[in-house]
Amino acid sequence: MALAVGTTGALAGCLDGVANTAGGASDGGPDRGPPAADRPRHVAYDPDHLHGAVVSGGPDKDGIPAVDDPSFVDASAASVPGDDDVVVGVVRGGTATAYPRSILVHHEIVNDRLDGVPVSVTYCPLTGTVMGFERRDTTFGVSGNLINNNLVMYDRATDSRWPQMLATAISGPLVGRTLREFDLVWTTWGRWRRRHPETRVLSTDTGYLRNYGVDPYGSYTPKRGYYAQEYTIFSSLADDDRLGAKDIVVGVRTTRGAAAVEHSRLRRRGLADLSIGGRRIAIVHDPGLDAAYGYALPATTTVTAASTGVVVDGVRRPPAALPFDRVPAIEAMWFAWAGFYPDTDLHA
Amino acid sequence: MPDRTRRTVAGVTTALRQPGGRAAFLLALVGYPPLYLASVGHLAVGARGYSIRVVADPVTRAMRSTRPFSFEPVARVAVDPLAVLISPLDIGVALTLAALVGCNLALAVAAWRSPATCGVEGSVGSLAGLPALLTGATCCGPAVLVALGAGAAGSLTAVLWYATPLAGALLVASLVFVAGRGGH
Repeated sequence: MALAVGTTGALAGCLDGVANTAGGASDGGPDRGPPAADRPRHVAYDPDHLHGAVVSGGPDKDGIPAVDDPSFVDASAASVPGDDDVVVGVVRGGTATAYPRSILVHHEIVNDRLDGVPVSVTYCPLTGTVMGFERRDTTFGVSGNLINNNLVMYDRATDSRWPQMLATAISGPLVGRTLREFDLVWTTWGRWRRRHPETRVLSTDTGYLRNYGVDPYGSYTPKRGYYAQEYTIFSSLADDDRLGAKDIVVGVRTTRGAAAVEHSRLRRRGLADLSIGGRRIAIVHDPGLDAAYGYALPATTTVTAASTGVVVDGVRRPPAALPFDRVPAIEAMWFAWAGFYPDTDLHA
Repeated sequence: MPDRTRRTVAGVTTALRQPGGRAAFLLALVGYPPLYLASVGHLAVGARGYSIRVVADPVTRAMRSTRPFSFEPVARVAVDPLAVLISPLDIGVALTLAALVGCNLALAVAAWRSPATCGVEGSVGSLAGLPALLTGATCCGPAVLVALGAGAAGSLTAVLWYATPLAGALLVASLVFVAGRGGH
């Protein structure tokens, strides 16, 4: 496959360490729509190529309705998930919040506020990705379209189109703008509740009526159906047989490129020390949550994995609190990661 | 009324007058909607307790499309262990398809038991049962792909999303083809 690096990708390559000015697209304006990230993310294809690869997923625009007015219950409520059920967790402003995957699979986007900041918690069932974005005073909706099997969101201020994994608009007034991301943790309810006993959890009172116990694609406990088998429903942007299509990887991307490590390998080793375009990135495993975090590491820092944490220059620290800048670490099905980032390094 | 249409109506009417045909029709009318609703996720097991919930603005919500030929539920009824989402238009679609399936089955049964009365050859009449069986599995595109465990090109997936109107068209065509032959 010929790799096309067009305007967005080329811009990304030039702006490492420089504030993102691509967000001020001509008629979008810097103040309209969701806020731009400080730096753009690597995009391996030009916007026209990506726009041409968008397909209808079947549902109408907003046919999968985002939750725009979420409500929460505490961990002792009767309707909380089972211990082995997957939840997406986040801690902001000292408040822990869990979003059950069983609800997200029916809505894909929750427009919420965390610590006073308007955010969207997003989930794409077909790529297994959960990602958090700041949204300012607009909200995100489900366009009904997919690219590389991945959710294409739209913002309700400008109707620009945002593939979730790219976090970058590929069409509309804000084309080229990169969203501000924040980390979400993919874990189980039992693990999350042990770590955060006072957590709140998204209620099934979403404003919509669904059978939240029914997953149209399969099951994670145990893993079966679409989540366990090799096929994809729509075509991918690229094929890469270094791993199985549905193997889970943890990926990071900077302005200069992308790298990933297989989740099972990360779980065994505790740490993956990566380099993207000369920039050092560590992905560390949190055994308590079976989750991963990304950090930008100084070149001279010594980091090793230990049974009870991560040792940084001789000091033991919890994986979730290393003293470095965080880089969003995304858990994804391999086919989806390799499709969006065919130039990705795979940690071996 | 064109001859073919008149013969179709007459053939179906004749089939429904027979006990076997009528029983097949009623069986489809009762049995098909739950299958359809289960295939689109509106009927599920696993509910706890008994409850009824209704959305705030049911009339507007009922008209809101979720995908081609499917609409938002306006109520959820849980009767341990069953949970049913009530989407009036989806139920209308299910009943319409059920009636068409029933007519096809009635025709097939009547033709099989007494082809002379129905005016349809037994072997041809049995064809009417095929679309009735096929439509039972074409209600929900991705569900079909997941059940088959196979991927698909985007175009095929798009076709599956329109399986509901395709199923309806297939059922009508089958009726016209089989019952409309009567008298030849």
